[in-house]
Amino acid sequence: MHSRLASNSLRVFLCFSVMFASGCPKAPNYREVLENQEKQEEQLRTLLGEMKEELKSELIAELRSEFADGSISSGAIAASEPEQVFDPPATLDELDQQVTWVDSPVIDSLELYREYLKDHPPEVSVEEALKLKNDSDENNEKILSSLGQLYATDEDADFSTEIVRHLPSEVKSLNPLMQSSTVEGDVVGMIGLGFFSFDWNMDPFAVAEYVDSWQTSEDMRFDKVVIRDDITWSDGTPVSAYDVEFSYHTILDEEIPIPAVRTGMDDILGIKAYDERTFVIFHKHSLATNVWNCNFPIIPKHVYEETIKDDKTMADSDEHIKLEQKPVCGGPYIVKSRSKSEIVLERRDDWYMHNGEQVRRKPHFKTVRFKVITDPNTQLLALNRGDIDDLELQPAQWVNQTTEPEFYRLNTKVRGTQWVYYFFGWNMKTPYFSDLRVRKAMAYAVDYDYILNTLLYGLWPACSSEFHPDSWMGPEEPRAPYKQDLKKAVALLEEAGWKDTDQDGIRDKVVNGKKIPFQFTMLTPNQPWRVDVCNSLSTTLQRIGVKCNVMPTEFTVVQDKTSKHEFQALFGGWGTGTDPWTTENIFKTDEGRNYVQYSNKRVDELFDKAKVELDRDVRAEYYREIDEILWEEQPYCWLFYRGAFYAYNKRLRGYKFSPRGPYHYSPGFDSIWATAQ
Amino acid sequence: MTEPQITELKSIPKSPSFWKEAWRQFRQRKLAMLSLGFVLFLSIVALFAPAISGSKPIVCEYKGTIYFPMLSYYSPRFEATFLNENFFGNYYDNLKENDPDSWAIWPLHFGDPNRPIDPNEWPDYPRTPQSSAPNSINWFGTDSRATDVFSQMVHGTRTALLVGFVSMGIASVIGITMGGLAGYFGGWTDSLISRLIEVVMCIPTLVLILALIAVINERTIWHMMAVIGATGWTGIARLTRAEFLKLKTMDFVSAARVLGVGHIRIMFKYLLPNALAPVLVPITFGIAAAILIESALSFLGFGPANSPSWGKLLNSGRQNLEDWWLILFPGFAIFLTVLAYNLIGEGLQEATDPRLRDGGSME
Repeated sequence: MHSRLASNSLRVFLCFSVMFASGCPKAPNYREVLENQEKQEEQLRTLLGEMKEELKSELIAELRSEFADGSISSGAIAASEPEQVFDPPATLDELDQQVTWVDSPVIDSLELYREYLKDHPPEVSVEEALKLKNDSDENNEKILSSLGQLYATDEDADFSTEIVRHLPSEVKSLNPLMQSSTVEGDVVGMIGLGFFSFDWNMDPFAVAEYVDSWQTSEDMRFDKVVIRDDITWSDGTPVSAYDVEFSYHTILDEEIPIPAVRTGMDDILGIKAYDERTFVIFHKHSLATNVWNCNFPIIPKHVYEETIKDDKTMADSDEHIKLEQKPVCGGPYIVKSRSKSEIVLERRDDWYMHNGEQVRRKPHFKTVRFKVITDPNTQLLALNRGDIDDLELQPAQWVNQTTEPEFYRLNTKVRGTQWVYYFFGWNMKTPYFSDLRVRKAMAYAVDYDYILNTLLYGLWPACSSEFHPDSWMGPEEPRAPYKQDLKKAVALLEEAGWKDTDQDGIRDKVVNGKKIPFQFTMLTPNQPWRVDVCNSLSTTLQRIGVKCNVMPTEFTVVQDKTSKHEFQALFGGWGTGTDPWTTENIFKTDEGRNYVQYSNKRVDELFDKAKVELDRDVRAEYYREIDEILWEEQPYCWLFYRGAFYAYNKRLRGYKFSPRGPYHYSPGFDSIWATAQ
Repeated sequence: MTEPQITELKSIPKSPSFWKEAWRQFRQRKLAMLSLGFVLFLSIVALFAPAISGSKPIVCEYKGTIYFPMLSYYSPRFEATFLNENFFGNYYDNLKENDPDSWAIWPLHFGDPNRPIDPNEWPDYPRTPQSSAPNSINWFGTDSRATDVFSQMVHGTRTALLVGFVSMGIASVIGITMGGLAGYFGGWTDSLISRLIEVVMCIPTLVLILALIAVINERTIWHMMAVIGATGWTGIARLTRAEFLKLKTMDFVSAARVLGVGHIRIMFKYLLPNALAPVLVPITFGIAAAILIESALSFLGFGPANSPSWGKLLNSGRQNLEDWWLILFPGFAIFLTVLAYNLIGEGLQEATDPRLRDGGSME
């Protein structure tokens, strides 16, 4: 399952997330996107209640189109080199002679988790954990350590049960290549197939359920994968290496409107299947980050080879419509029924049984039912009634609406930190923020205490570095964050020449012979809590003579404006990638997501060095230096990390939080099981 | 033979003017008068909002000069001196420390509509608590942003009233002019303007506002008012047109024309005063509708970001359902205000329409 997850999530979510974008270069943070869209859609729906149906769907379609995303540019390296031609050796032997192979890890992530649990025994018994109220960090730890355990013997778990999972919005497509949001990722993750994944430390591996061996060349330019011979599609056809080759070519087919999974494929030179079980991935460059590009969803060649020729949309023809309803699946579950509000998956016996023998572990649930509920209040009611088994909570719900016995009767809740940070970004090409002193003054002006402890209920930890302190490239010593100090802020502003010379209550300065007032616009997506955070800055700045107009803007417009640098300041967030290389296009000069137009030669140089370096320790040094420079120069005012808040039915066990939440890594959902009691 | 009795005609009492009569009639309607009183009360609250609830002195003497810091809620200009003295918006202590001879008159209620009060900003006031129920310091409680609700209500009154008056002001000017032109000139002018009215009627105000929000950099309530005004004039125009069509055939208009009175003068001096009564009614209802639109937009989160409004309070109440005070107070305020305007409109209609008026008081 891991791989399935990985395949989609890697691409979809992996890396960055600005306010909207998370994950790989240029790829928006789909979760954020989605949340946003949902809010907006909800608002729109209410608002447009009386409008004609077509117009309504048109508007929503427009919002959704943001998902569509092209592929990433491979950056400076690709630009400076001539285009390489894919000319693979004809036979595997030929290749083996050219290349020195090194074994790479092939891992069963559930076993990995079991190993991990050996060193992390439960702090309290299950009974105690279920009685606890999650109102402190300690209790959260206790509940997680106890309920996060796996079953000791198969008798402890109920393999015949059903789990009802919550989906915050409708699923558009069940075609693994067509997934564009985390909602689709969650469903496709259970029915799809992928050969690579990564664990909660963001360490990549090949998935033992599907892969026999994975070897990487010494220079990391080639990856050779041998898949197992006991994997079948749900129609009985064996899964082969040719399916991988076919999927790769399909993803790259420009005529097929693939929304998200194409990201990152640019750095692959080509993929060749040498026999039924062996395929080799040829990379363009020798990079430590190549492994992240290996991870893409696989579709059955024998099913789609002919149908795609007739219908490049993969959605319109009769065959494709039928496949949408009942896809041919490679994963542990198969689609039993599908409607707009509900998708029912059923366990595939031929996934874990092969020729009468059990070849893989038995998936934990007989059926997995996905229910779509969009309204947050309805979601919580459904959870309290026991209609759904899991739910991602809003911070306000966590604090105010899930403390009563009504909630704890059937459920418990847990939380974890995600490596998704939020920041104020200053457009460095504006007369205000080109000056380091002004950016520092802003950092001193922010009322961190109010934002963190009041607006965000003290649930989200402060952020004071580009890379999370727990990550391998994070600062060695935790860095002290800025504290609000209006006197220092004013001193810095005056030093930078911003004084109220005309007695109008707003600081001004002569720039290029023209006097301009310190008055700027803060761009933010239109979500209440985001607007509140920006407003808090605005009211503070007002007290030191700076005017900040908060501009809550529709998400699509924010994206448009930021990518064109048509803003002065911006409130956003980035999800930290699985590899720090993903931040390259945020801070390198003139890169795609460098919205604030930051430029520093040393930083550019360090990014280039870090990208081609293969030794992780040396890379960590480079990234730490980048982090130091960024912190000193404050192109962003780093604020806080977003938490993940989840409620689970009390019969569920085995959940664990990764820096990407409880699901989007391996084992993720695979480790969740229901108790037999 | 008796001489025919000639009764001397004494001076006939001048019959009361139309408006005087309407006012007399209006006054008799208790609900309408009560509503008028309520709207006047709201106007006073709106006008003196910073003096009723705020965190800045109404007036103070500082180093020998008189200042009105409360006006900085309207423009930062009035705070410039204190900005340069690094007051950081905290007046109570700073005034005393920097100038022991200073004095200040403070608002009735100490609170700020935009931010929590810092500890020690006002004697014995703690930092404004989050989501607190009504108490002696925060009369209407506080919201989840730890901001005083009473203060937001008072300052929000200004938004509510302004939106109603300004947007319907714009709508009336456009509507009466357009309707007047169409009704008076008739012919192709009439056809043209009538078609225009139909086109404008098709534009949904909300969608237009949403589109505008995406374009405008510094979003304020003024933009919203402009849009509501620019799209809400059609009803007024149609009524004016109908009145003008009817009135222009009357003798006094013919007389005026014979005397050579100009078109403009006839329209505005002769026709308009006679046509105004039925037009006033939709204007009053329009004010109520505009207040609702503003509240709805703020409720949906499309309002101006940093100005207090009733709709915004309601919205935060929707997100924090257990904080009843976030729904009760603004909900009641919107309800009462809209009701008041509707009652005034109804009173006006009855007072100016002879059929309704005399039908009601036939002897």
